[in-house]
Amino acid sequence: MKRQVPLVLCFVFGIAMIFTQFSPHTFSQGIHNEVTNWTHIITPFALVLAVATLIQTHWVRIRRRTTHWQYSIVVFAGLITMVAFGIRSGPKNRVFEWLYENVQVPMDATVFSLLAFFIASAAYRAFRARTFEATLLLISALIVMMGNVPIGDFLWNTVMAWTPWDNATSNASQWILDNPNLSSRRGVILGVSLGAISQSIRIILGIERSYLGGGD
Amino acid sequence: MFEKLMRIDRRIIFIFVGLAVIVPTLFPSNLPINVPEPTRQLYDYIDALPTGATIIIAFDYGPSSFAEPQPMAEAVMKHCFDKKVRVIGINLFAETTTLADKLMQKVAKEKGAVDGEDYVFLGYRPGALQVIIGMGTEIASIFDSDYAGNPLAEIPMMENITNYEQISLLLDLAASSTVEAWITYANTKYGLQIGAGVTGVIVSQMYPYLQTGQLVGLMPGFLGAAGYEKLIETSAEGTAGINTESFVHLLIVGLVVLGNIAFFIQQRREE
Amino acid sequence: MTLNSRMQLILACFVFCLCAGVAFAQGLAPPTNVTAKDTPNDDGKSITLTWDAAAEDSGGITNYKILRGTTPETLEEIGDTKTTTTTTYVDSSVETGTDYVYLVRAVGETGETADSVPTAPVQATGQWFHTGKIPLFCAMLLFCAAIVGNIYYAQSGKEIFVRRIPGLEAVDEAIGRATEMGRSILYVLGMGAVDDVATIASMTILGQVARRTADYETPLRVPCRDPIVLNVVREMVKTAYLNEGRPDAYNEDNIFFLTQDQFAYAAGVDGMMIREKPAAIFLQGTFFAESLILAETGNSIGAIQIAGTDAEHQLPFLIAACDYTLIGEELYAASAYLSREPRLLGSLRGQDWGKLVIFVALVMGILLEPFGINWITALLQRVN
Repeated sequence: MKRQVPLVLCFVFGIAMIFTQFSPHTFSQGIHNEVTNWTHIITPFALVLAVATLIQTHWVRIRRRTTHWQYSIVVFAGLITMVAFGIRSGPKNRVFEWLYENVQVPMDATVFSLLAFFIASAAYRAFRARTFEATLLLISALIVMMGNVPIGDFLWNTVMAWTPWDNATSNASQWILDNPNLSSRRGVILGVSLGAISQSIRIILGIERSYLGGGD
Repeated sequence: MFEKLMRIDRRIIFIFVGLAVIVPTLFPSNLPINVPEPTRQLYDYIDALPTGATIIIAFDYGPSSFAEPQPMAEAVMKHCFDKKVRVIGINLFAETTTLADKLMQKVAKEKGAVDGEDYVFLGYRPGALQVIIGMGTEIASIFDSDYAGNPLAEIPMMENITNYEQISLLLDLAASSTVEAWITYANTKYGLQIGAGVTGVIVSQMYPYLQTGQLVGLMPGFLGAAGYEKLIETSAEGTAGINTESFVHLLIVGLVVLGNIAFFIQQRREE
Repeated sequence: MTLNSRMQLILACFVFCLCAGVAFAQGLAPPTNVTAKDTPNDDGKSITLTWDAAAEDSGGITNYKILRGTTPETLEEIGDTKTTTTTTYVDSSVETGTDYVYLVRAVGETGETADSVPTAPVQATGQWFHTGKIPLFCAMLLFCAAIVGNIYYAQSGKEIFVRRIPGLEAVDEAIGRATEMGRSILYVLGMGAVDDVATIASMTILGQVARRTADYETPLRVPCRDPIVLNVVREMVKTAYLNEGRPDAYNEDNIFFLTQDQFAYAAGVDGMMIREKPAAIFLQGTFFAESLILAETGNSIGAIQIAGTDAEHQLPFLIAACDYTLIGEELYAASAYLSREPRLLGSLRGQDWGKLVIFVALVMGILLEPFGINWITALLQRVN
């Protein structure tokens, strides 16, 4: 019974939601909107559970003085400060805004900017002309990298000024993006989409049940 | 030596990348910018809008990725205010609200645009898909007031705006998959025209939609922002950003070439 | 002819000349063939009005106005003025089931107007089935039938071939390595929520990984980004440990909520990698810009990394930094591949049939299009 009820719910709502995609009638669209609303109502309740587990996890770490338990104090400090100012006066509160602009924005931006460093190290390691295919990949990567910044065309137009092709780097880069990139991407998207549909059918029909908590 | 060069410590690469960012930032260059064709298409579309038309700008990026989309937003808003095209600002992620609000106010002040008449910032509402779908039926059903708390019915520029039918374009400034969501739900379902400005990481993801015409135009990363700045005859953060980015790209290309030279010499020796 | 009748004649001539003069000066032709119809395939909230384009000699029409009423006597202007090139108008401000009459008014340069004949009353009604989506509906039914048919085929005991997927073959190797080294396994479910198919696929792989870690007593750490995913995953892993007869080895504290913020999550997971140095890292699910931040940090600590994502734009990053990468649909095939259950394998075969049909349709479309045969292209057109 514990497993049959969710399976039945999944089947009924899954089939209903599929049919709402084919029926423009107000009634079916109403069902679609209602079900979507429910999913949004469930999320905040789950968030409460999540915050509870966050507090529990870090509280246990502090209490047991596990390795790096000091970081857990930082978690509580951040959580309490932002909640205190946010709840009391909303996001327009001066302290909240200051914390947002001077703590959250720069910290988030810092982590994102790590990407530039990691792309450089990953590119250095991965782009080796080991095989014919890898060489093709390497050449197209170099063209796109240079074509996507003005220095590519600047260098080409300066050094290769004798050739009849102006802005050849950006044109070649655009060609790569529009043709080989686009067609291969479409192939992957088609496969992914069919895989997603197939997975969805398995879930709706109750063949795939792992999301119910493992086992069969 | 070549073995060492092939397995160079990543921290050395990080130092070079850091220098490639810091030096051009301190000593800016002025490289000639070629406007990408999708950016020109977006510019042309907005430029052709009649006076009094309304567009929505969705600030769908986070504080982490604001560096690229923010100059795009600035350039497009300047263009709109010059053309007397009205702008509605919204965001699907809560953490962008303050950034977007301040940016709109800054550009409006610079261009003399009036809040409530030339632009309005509606802010954030939870449930991204609900927001996109709900606005297609009635904007007021999702946003009953603007971010400052003024009821929508009392905002002059919202007087004749009910849903997407009165909106000429939605420009999604994104760092994740929100462009697809706008295309799937607002373009396919309601026929709303969509334009996009995205971070460099997800640019290639946009090309299928450009080719099918589901996107009227695209600003790809810093290059798109710089291109749009060039089209409106200004030079701001987008131009500065792409000039700096140029040197990082050049460094990476140099490193890859160096790595491959070392690889080939190493292989020859082993043979 | 009496004076009175002469006066009448002069007056009549004057009126005629005036009318003729005005008509000549205006020359406005009223819009013709104005028809109002219930918009097909909608929710009953709109009526579509069409009329013929103004002829070039129609006398200087500058724009059109639309008038609407419930009877010809109650007509009122609605919507904005329409340009001369416009020949359709969709009125979305109607009430379902109410009769409406429309009239199109041509407006000249000096404000003179010419009205069309009012249309017959029309009602907006909602449709239960979108006829434009019939091809899509048939394709969906056929695809479902292919999957269900192949499931029966697989259940009948017939063997189904599944090509080797190195990323999934390496699962045991990764777990074994972590066990030998006495280190933990880190499992990252990506950025998706529980309604994301990739997240569900990832949870399925996690279930299989959990079964094996239960046997080997290898610590399995799962930092979650979505609160619902957290609760489902806890239940899943717990069941996996129970099924393997090792409930004592299950530690709920190893599956925890980190944060919903994308880059704070990436920073948190990176911190775990640096501090705990897991021997094996699984990055399975939907990823965005944080993919390389996670994968490169994993690479820097020397962990064996198995990635898998349906976010094709992140594949280059994962391929560059991970040991194995499940590309796109391979992620969805994982549950069938790892469990070898006939029902799941059957659905994989059905999926391939669908791919074959699309492939044939694409090739046929490309071959026939140059000859002007475009029914395949028309069939696959986007439907609003």
